[in-house]
Amino acid sequence: MAIAAQTSLIANLGVQRRVLGALLLRELLTRYGRHNIGFLWLFVEPMLFTLGVTALWTATRSLHGSNLPIAAFALTGYSTVLLWRNMPGRCIGAIESNMALMYHRNVRALDIYVARIIIEFAGATMSFFTLSLVFIASELIKPPEDFLTVAGGWMLTAWFGAALAITIGALSQEYELVDKLWHPASYLLFPLSGAAYLVSALSSAVREIVLYIPMVHGVEMIRDGYFGSQIEPIYDPGYAIICSLVLSVAALILVRWTEKRLSPR
Amino acid sequence: MITVSNVTKHYRTRTGPKRVLDGINLKLTKGERLGVLGRNGAGKSTLIRLVGGAEAPTFGKITREMSVSWPLAFGGAFQGNLTGIDNVRFISRLYNQDPEHNLAFVEQFAELGQYLREPVSSYSSGMLARLAFAISMIIEFDCFLIDEVAAVGDSRFHERCNYELFDRRSDRAMMIISHDPGYLRDHCNRFAVLDQGRLTTFADHDTAQDHFLAQMRSSVVVRAVAQPFSRRLAAIDSLRRVAHADEHFMTLVRQADAARDRHDWTLAEAGYGEALALHPYERSYWVQLGHVTREQGCLARAEIAYRTACAYGEPVRVLAPFITAVAPPGSSTLNSPIAVPDGGDTRRQPPGYVDLALLAALARGTDGIADEEALVLLREGGSLETVLARMMSEAPAGAALPQQVALVPGGWAVRSDWRDDLARLVGAEQDAFDAALSRGEEPLAALRSAGGLAEWIIPVRDTTTA
Repeated sequence: MAIAAQTSLIANLGVQRRVLGALLLRELLTRYGRHNIGFLWLFVEPMLFTLGVTALWTATRSLHGSNLPIAAFALTGYSTVLLWRNMPGRCIGAIESNMALMYHRNVRALDIYVARIIIEFAGATMSFFTLSLVFIASELIKPPEDFLTVAGGWMLTAWFGAALAITIGALSQEYELVDKLWHPASYLLFPLSGAAYLVSALSSAVREIVLYIPMVHGVEMIRDGYFGSQIEPIYDPGYAIICSLVLSVAALILVRWTEKRLSPR
Repeated sequence: MITVSNVTKHYRTRTGPKRVLDGINLKLTKGERLGVLGRNGAGKSTLIRLVGGAEAPTFGKITREMSVSWPLAFGGAFQGNLTGIDNVRFISRLYNQDPEHNLAFVEQFAELGQYLREPVSSYSSGMLARLAFAISMIIEFDCFLIDEVAAVGDSRFHERCNYELFDRRSDRAMMIISHDPGYLRDHCNRFAVLDQGRLTTFADHDTAQDHFLAQMRSSVVVRAVAQPFSRRLAAIDSLRRVAHADEHFMTLVRQADAARDRHDWTLAEAGYGEALALHPYERSYWVQLGHVTREQGCLARAEIAYRTACAYGEPVRVLAPFITAVAPPGSSTLNSPIAVPDGGDTRRQPPGYVDLALLAALARGTDGIADEEALVLLREGGSLETVLARMMSEAPAGAALPQQVALVPGGWAVRSDWRDDLARLVGAEQDAFDAALSRGEEPLAALRSAGGLAEWIIPVRDTTTA
C-alpha cells in the first residue's frame, strides 16, 4: 500500500493536470455560466476596458511625450495594466470562496490560485491579441517590429503579476487589511506603472525612481517590440526577472503557510 | 492504513488559542469500522476533518496509506450556481472518473429528476443531501468518513444509504462520528469516546457507552429557562424541545429503547426513569415507561405512567386500551373518563404523576408521593387546583420543604432542583421564589409573591385547629 501512496512524479503530474483542468472548467462555468455569450466574456470584458480607455485617451488627446499614435500607446499600456492588476484582484478571497474544495485532498490552495491566474492570463492575452489584430487590420497601428520582444515583455509582466497575485491572495486569507489596501494601491500603481508614459519622456531624476517599479520594465519591453525604432525604450529585463523570482519564492512560502492555517467548515 | 500520531489541534480565537484536540493517537486498517462517540463540541468534527485532510494538525502527523473520502453527509464542495450535473462532472474529473457513467449512477440514485439540470442553490436540504451522498458513492474510497450527526434525508433514502455503505462496502475502513451509541453499535466493530479533545478507545461497545454515559452524568445539566406560560400545553411543548436538545437525555432514552427492543425490561425502565427524572414532561417516554413496567407486571405503575402521559397530552385514543388492560378487574374506575388537558389555564388541567409529587412536596414536605395515592388521584380526574386545595387542607401546617423529590415512580432518580419545576408548574418565577423562600416566607406565600398561583383558589389553612 505504501507504494500506491508514494506515487511517481509522472503520476503526480497527471493528477496536477487533471485537477487544474477540472478547476479551470469549474471557474469558467461559475464565472460566466452558459447564458448569452458565456466564455467569450473572458476576453470581451478586458477588450471593452482597453477600447474604452483608448477612446477616452484619443478624445482627450492625452499627453504621452511622443509622436506615437494614441491607439498604439493605449493598447500596449492598458493591456499590461489589465494583465498584472486583474490577477491579484481575482486571487484575493479565492480560497475563502472555494474553502469546501479543501475537502478534496488532491486540490491544494495553490491549484485554486493557479486556475484563476490562468483564466486571467488567457483573457488578457486574447484581448491584447484580438485588439492588436483589429487595430492593425484597420491600419490604426503598424504590426509589431519584433514579435518575440513583445511576447517576452508580455510573459515577464504575466510572471510578475502571477507571483504578485499569489502573494496578495495568500496574505489576504490571513489579513483582511490586504484586501482593503490592494484596491487603492492598484489604482495608484496604474499611472505609475508605465501605462501612461514613456520612461524616456521623464526627467532623469524621476526616471531613476520609476525604474524601481517592476511593471515599468515589462511595458517598455512590449513597446520596444512594437515600435522600438520610433521611441527610446528604457528597461532592464534582468531587474524584472529578479523581482519576479524573489516574489515567486515568497508567494510559494506564503501559500504553504496559509494552507496550514485553513479551517473549512 | 491510516495512522494518526500525537495529533493536537489549536484554533485561534479572540481570547487566544483554544485546544480542540489533544494528543490523539489512532490506527485504522481496512475492514475496521471505528465509531467515535462524543458530545457536541467534543471535537468530533475537527477530528474527522483532520483525518480527511481538509485541515492540517497544529502538531503531530497523519499518514494515509489508503484513499480517504471527504466526510460523508457533507453537502459542501458544491458550487451553488452550478447545476447538479456540473458538480458531478467536476468531481468526476477531479478523481479521474468517467463523468457520463457517474451521471447515470447519480441520476438513478439521487432521484432528482430534472432538478439535476438546475443550479444546486435551488435545491432543498434533502435534495442536497441526496446529491452529496450519491456523489460520495461514485468514488470508490478505501476509507469512508461518516458524520452521522449531520446526516439528513428521508427514511427511504437512509435505507438505501445504509445498504450502499454498510452492506456493499462493508470491506472498507470507516470512521463514524456520532452521539448515538446505538447507531455505532449497529455499524462499528471498534469504539472510542472523545471528550475534551482526548480520545479513549474501547474494545467493545458496552464499555464505550458506559464511559460516555458516565461523562454525561458528570456534566452540567441542561435546564429549561422557565417562561411564564399560562397555558400548560405550550409549556409542555417547549419543555419537550429542551429535552430533545439535551444529549444526556437523548442518550439515556436511546439506550432504554435499545434495551426495550432486546426485551430487557428492567434496564429499559431504569433508562426511561433516569431520563424522565431529567425532563419529566417529555410525555412520549411516559408511554414507553408504561409499556416496560407493564411487561414486568407492575400494573399500578404502568397505569400511573399511561395516565400521566395522557395528562400531558398523549392521545387518549391510543392509550385507552392499555389503561383498560392494566386496570385491576372489576375496578370502579374502569368506566371513568381519562383526564386530558384542554389547552386552557394551567390550574384547570389534570395532574400527572410529576405534578402530584411536586404538590405533595409543597403541601406536606414529603419527598414524593406513594404509588397508591397517586393512582387514586389520577383516576379521580381532578384538576391541579383541586388536588392542591385538598392536599393543603389535609396537611399539617409548617412542613419544611424536602431537599429532593422523586418525580418518577419506582424511585429511579430524585431531583434536587424540583423547586424550579414547582415554580414553573404554578407560573411563578424561579429566582423570585427562591428569594422569597430564603426570606423565610411560607412556601405557599413565597409562590404567590413570586407571581405564581394567580387565580388558584387554595383554602386558607384553619390555624385554630393547628
